[in-house]
Amino acid sequence: MTGSIGGDPAIETSALTKRYGRVTALDGIDLAVATGSVFGVIGPNGAGKTTTMRLLLDIIRPSSGSVRVLGEAPREGGPALRRRIGFLPGDLRPEGRVSGRELMRHYASISGLVADGRAEQIADRLGLDLTRQVRTLSRGNRQKLGIVQAFMHDPALLVLDEPTSGLDPLVQQEFLAMVGEASANGQTVFLSSHVLSEIQQAADAVAILRDGRLVTVSDVESLRLTAVRRVRLTAADIAEDAVRAALAPLPQLTALVLAAIGSGVRVDATVTGDIDPFVKAIARFHVGELTVEEPDLEESVLRLYGAREGSE
Amino acid sequence: MRPTTALPLFTRALASSWRSLIGWSLGVIAALSLYLPLFASIGGNGQMKDLLASLPPELITSLGYDQISTGSGYTQATYFGLLGFALLMIAATAWGTAAIAGDEETGSLELTLAHGVGRVQVVLERTLAVLVRLAWLGALSCLMVFLLNDSAGLGIDPANIPGMGAAFVGLGLLTATSSIAVGALTGRRAFATAAGAGVAVVGYALNALANQSADLDAMHNFSPYHWAYGASPLANGADWGGLGLLYGLAAVLIAVAAVGLSRRDLVN
Repeated sequence: MTGSIGGDPAIETSALTKRYGRVTALDGIDLAVATGSVFGVIGPNGAGKTTTMRLLLDIIRPSSGSVRVLGEAPREGGPALRRRIGFLPGDLRPEGRVSGRELMRHYASISGLVADGRAEQIADRLGLDLTRQVRTLSRGNRQKLGIVQAFMHDPALLVLDEPTSGLDPLVQQEFLAMVGEASANGQTVFLSSHVLSEIQQAADAVAILRDGRLVTVSDVESLRLTAVRRVRLTAADIAEDAVRAALAPLPQLTALVLAAIGSGVRVDATVTGDIDPFVKAIARFHVGELTVEEPDLEESVLRLYGAREGSE
Repeated sequence: MRPTTALPLFTRALASSWRSLIGWSLGVIAALSLYLPLFASIGGNGQMKDLLASLPPELITSLGYDQISTGSGYTQATYFGLLGFALLMIAATAWGTAAIAGDEETGSLELTLAHGVGRVQVVLERTLAVLVRLAWLGALSCLMVFLLNDSAGLGIDPANIPGMGAAFVGLGLLTATSSIAVGALTGRRAFATAAGAGVAVVGYALNALANQSADLDAMHNFSPYHWAYGASPLANGADWGGLGLLYGLAAVLIAVAAVGLSRRDLVN
């Protein structure tokens, strides 16, 4: 279901359901996360991402269905299983009059074996000063502390709830590089985001969660095929009709807007999926400016979701 | 950074609270060094006795001031039964609430439990950390009484001081474990605080009411405050029955907390 990277899945859920009274937070989720893969869960707040992660760590227990993490049920696996997992909670609020280093030392004492200097190494990479008092740290730096404690014992499984939130773009890139290295190292990474674009470059597969239900599981490559890109260009010395005649027939093109500027035309449009026909089509113009935005996979996912929803 | 700590949660709880413990210790020292030296001019003073005799007897029995003409009665009424009691109960409620419910509401407990620790372990180590802090304040109180005994002319038999300390700490422990147990069962800070404060306040009120008349005497049986101090341990030595009730019930509450936390979902 999620690619062919490992043998036994690192995470496997079957009809996993969590109810709080009458509210169903998670409704019959079937997931299999391949060992060594990077698996992203995308969904808006309240979709069930955090609930899923808490179930994996035995912080909460399922109402029905089953879950296996690294081959064990979380409750039976207990502390020994959790030493093999690194967890970054969604809203991390580390407090207290301790330095980052002292706090990391504490978490190391209740975690899997942490190699000497490993916490410092990760902190350096993220640009985090471990000598500073935790309560004086900014939100982004607290998030970095959370990442350090999740990664420092090099666990077999990383469960990261909204790991990129609060991080500036450069640190996000460094973090995604760490995720890639962990995966190359055989570690499995299960991470969530409400913004797909933040994790799409790192994830092998993504699950879309809505209202406690699994909308779809897809590998990122197939999402790319449905990628939506916004494009804008100016063509010189050409009439609006000629441009329209060249572009309108392209099935990939939607939201085509033409505006005359001087003797040329400005084109705004949305390209879905393969961009090549569009490039070929504009080759005959005298192109002045050209902007192609990075594909927004989230938009594609939402379209996919919209389509599913419509067919239900 | 190797996991060499034997009791990591206990160690961490103590390490993160030593500043506040210093504050509480200064409070204990201040209260005792202000109150005890006044014995000669209050408890042993004829005019003061006249003054007290002119006050409503209900007030005097409520406060336990009917015994303050002796050094042991004075020390119990003014410190262990009143100011020290208030200090220790506030500390016990605050620490007992913070141990589980407070930590859960800030989200820290979730991260702790996502590591290689069990829930029973969390309850036991953190309760132990609370007990150690309470015992420290109890030991410090005993030491102060011992040091000021002669100079204040209290005439307390030093052999009776540890029994009073044990009752004092036991009362604190019962209060703290009430907060811990309710916190472990509900995860709610407000409920945990209400439980600890409730045990302390209701215990005190039941005792004060029961002191009013022989008809109400049976109410003493339900007052942890009376279990601790009813037998006047400073005058008569340790009251093993009372201590058994305090520590026995605290042990039951610890078990309730361990089972309660193990069985439920964490809330947030």
